[in-house]
Amino acid sequence: MTSTIRSRKRPGVLFGAVAVTIGLVAAACGGDNGGGGESADTVAAAETTAPTETTDIIDPMTAVTPGGTLTMGIEAETSSPWRPSEMVCAISCHMVARTVYDSLMIIGGDNSPVPYLASGMEPNEDYTVWRITARAGVKFHDGTDFDGAAIAENIGRHKTALLTGTAIKTVTDISVDSSDPMTAIVTVEKPWATFPWYLTGQIGYMASPTWLLASDTDEALRAQPVGTGPFVYSDYKPNEYYTGTKNANYWNAPFPYLDEITLIPIADSLKRRDALKAGDVDVVHTTNGEVINEFRSGLDGFSSVEITNNAETGYTLLHVTQEGSPLNDRRIRCALANATDNDIINEVVSFGVNELANGPFSPGQVGNLEDSGYPLVQDMAKAQALIAEYKAENPGELKISLATTNDATNLVVAQYQKDFYEEAGIDEVTIDQIDQGQYIVTALLGNFQVFQWRNHGGVDLDQQYIWWHSSSALDIGSLALNFGRIKDPKLDELLDANRATVDPAEKKQIAEDVNRLFATECYNLWGAYTTWLIAFKSGVMGLDAANLTTPEGARAVEGAGIAGSFFPHTIWRQQ
Amino acid sequence: MRYFLRKLLQLVIVVFAVTFTVSLALGAIPYAEERIIAAKGSGAINEEEKNKLLDSLNLREPTLVQYGYFVGDLVTLDWGVTLNGNQPISTSISDGLGISLRLMIYGQLVALLIAIPAAVFAAYRSGGLFDRFSTTVSFGFISTPNYVLATILGLLFTVRWKLFPAISTDVGFFEAPWDHFRNFFLPTIVLALPLAGAYMRLLRSDLVNTLQSDFITTARAKGVSTPRILFGHALRPSLFSLVTAAAVNVGALVGGSVVVETAFNLNGLGRRTVLGIFASEFRLVQITVVILALVYVITNFLVDILYGFLDPRVRVGRLG
Repeated sequence: MTSTIRSRKRPGVLFGAVAVTIGLVAAACGGDNGGGGESADTVAAAETTAPTETTDIIDPMTAVTPGGTLTMGIEAETSSPWRPSEMVCAISCHMVARTVYDSLMIIGGDNSPVPYLASGMEPNEDYTVWRITARAGVKFHDGTDFDGAAIAENIGRHKTALLTGTAIKTVTDISVDSSDPMTAIVTVEKPWATFPWYLTGQIGYMASPTWLLASDTDEALRAQPVGTGPFVYSDYKPNEYYTGTKNANYWNAPFPYLDEITLIPIADSLKRRDALKAGDVDVVHTTNGEVINEFRSGLDGFSSVEITNNAETGYTLLHVTQEGSPLNDRRIRCALANATDNDIINEVVSFGVNELANGPFSPGQVGNLEDSGYPLVQDMAKAQALIAEYKAENPGELKISLATTNDATNLVVAQYQKDFYEEAGIDEVTIDQIDQGQYIVTALLGNFQVFQWRNHGGVDLDQQYIWWHSSSALDIGSLALNFGRIKDPKLDELLDANRATVDPAEKKQIAEDVNRLFATECYNLWGAYTTWLIAFKSGVMGLDAANLTTPEGARAVEGAGIAGSFFPHTIWRQQ
Repeated sequence: MRYFLRKLLQLVIVVFAVTFTVSLALGAIPYAEERIIAAKGSGAINEEEKNKLLDSLNLREPTLVQYGYFVGDLVTLDWGVTLNGNQPISTSISDGLGISLRLMIYGQLVALLIAIPAAVFAAYRSGGLFDRFSTTVSFGFISTPNYVLATILGLLFTVRWKLFPAISTDVGFFEAPWDHFRNFFLPTIVLALPLAGAYMRLLRSDLVNTLQSDFITTARAKGVSTPRILFGHALRPSLFSLVTAAAVNVGALVGGSVVVETAFNLNGLGRRTVLGIFASEFRLVQITVVILALVYVITNFLVDILYGFLDPRVRVGRLG
């Protein structure tokens, strides 16, 4: 049986591998060559993936056979494991983290955050103070009580962190309610209605304060996480495996069903596929076009689900405020957009599995538009006209540099881009191949002009705040998450307005305005939305995240909030 | 003794050159501090943590002080933890070394088990059908890159026939012998076949020459059986080149099996080093490079010493 779920069907037009996708600063990202590089996710893990059909939602314990083990091939190792404030968390990181940690909130079936490990989260009237209440009776794996102090300790550690700290830098105070030790109080400097989204992911993961304290002095302990999650840390060898055993006292019974789960980083997607076929692993995820096509055609003994909703977008990042750079001029940026033929790139590199992107928001994300105004079809004449106009005003040679990694697939994309740009009138495009470790640092430091990338999955626009708001655009040479150093007052205004409102209609309008703004200004050159595939042996059940329920009865959103992932709680093996 | 001391002095010079270069290499890397901070992750960004981290690598010290600290840490095994994995570097390296050593030993054994009988028979029937066949096959093995071999064997033995795992795990021999065999079989074969080809060519060539020697003719005249001539008389003096090649390969294989290790997801020292380079694990890479260099120079030192004892002409000749 192959149950393939495709939320959008436009095979043959896709991008995919423009991206060396990197997560926040995903020094540890593995990769899926040919499918889009590596995946980059983030602080506010809320990349919600919502397949259009439901495959196997079950009521807990009505049809489940508990027990058994599961091994999953994941695409990358994680940098700086496993303290939540330090992890460089791409999708594979979240897969591991979800075994040992619970997040305070999860994304519910209606695409809004619902309490999970927290029992409640209440704002004041203007959304500047949030009260987060710990679920009663929960203990960490080491026996430490989960309470308001634990919440405060965990969130407090993010405040001083490079990546997650940027995401919550408007938090001014974190304390424990003196009248209720189960409640932590978070104060922010300006209204933040969407703050709960940030607790659905990395910032929401709760680690034992006892362990955190001990690991401050004993660094080796940091790789032996202690949380409240469904599986207790058992063993971990970087680049080899992470194993967790069933938490028999899990607070949200009857989960988990499995006795043990092992996650093995296998960076090469074809090798990951082979490991599944050979029976070494039970589940894999991938964005590789070749592998996706293979599973689309059906393989005996295996099933698969395909997810595109709310996934990341592959694109080319431009540094738009570098002194003296031609890319500061909108005409040059839009010329590059018009010069690019993504159809060809997608066919050659991604086997046509992805859908061309006209903006940062993939299908399902608020703000996604049928027509954003961004050119989906190559218009070389327009590109040449724009560059000629620029050259008339700015005589001299027009040169730009294009950064990519050492990956062969990404280099192919870069070569296509170079040809397109030079045909459009750029006098010289130099390709800089940078090794993975330095690539990420280069992005953070802003030492680039044109840069292949993948990012921006999620649901709510607020999840993109840190990537686009001018407050994250530090000077070149400083580590900053607004890699392209976009400093656009209009964009800031829209992002701030979205952050302050919970009105769906207003949020939709704002997000769409952002999408159009990007199309008008050509701040980024959109490529394609990423297609994720989860392939698994027949008999592996419960992969649909909507099987996870809270004690109050709310269901998690299908797709678990991050494209290509699931909740390990709900997996079981058919005997 | 003078020969020994001279070789020892050469070893010390090489070790000094390697450790000195490696200890200073970190400072020459562009954006080294930023890369270290990024590799360490978000927790290391506040100034105190940042300074502590950079101080622990002695990056801001004068050159000679840096070298002194580096050698001191090296000798006392105070290697710290990895930036990315928070694993003790000593554990990571010893785990990787264990895997690579096993792979190297298995690969060498299998290569020799294939090469020696084949070479002996080919030399015995020099120019014959088996000689021509084995020559062709050995050139095939030598000229096939091991990633190609790994892919082909992997597809056949793992995906199609499901006899061996596609990704190997470091299962201990005494813990689970059968699983150990299954996990190391394909990496060993991929490593061994090109070696076997090269060893066979070397040994066959030396054996052909030896078999034309007077003492072989004498042995034949005395009626010594063919197997005894081949294995008892001709093989031993023909092993010189093979022993040299095998010894040199010890060092090469310990750190140089990265393609095979990567192909089978086996986390040996070579793979760890390459991953360490990509992940800015500078300290791990520095120490691994020193260890690999030590393996190389010590192996070569021992081989040189062994030559001196096995064949006095070498000792005298080199001194002269």
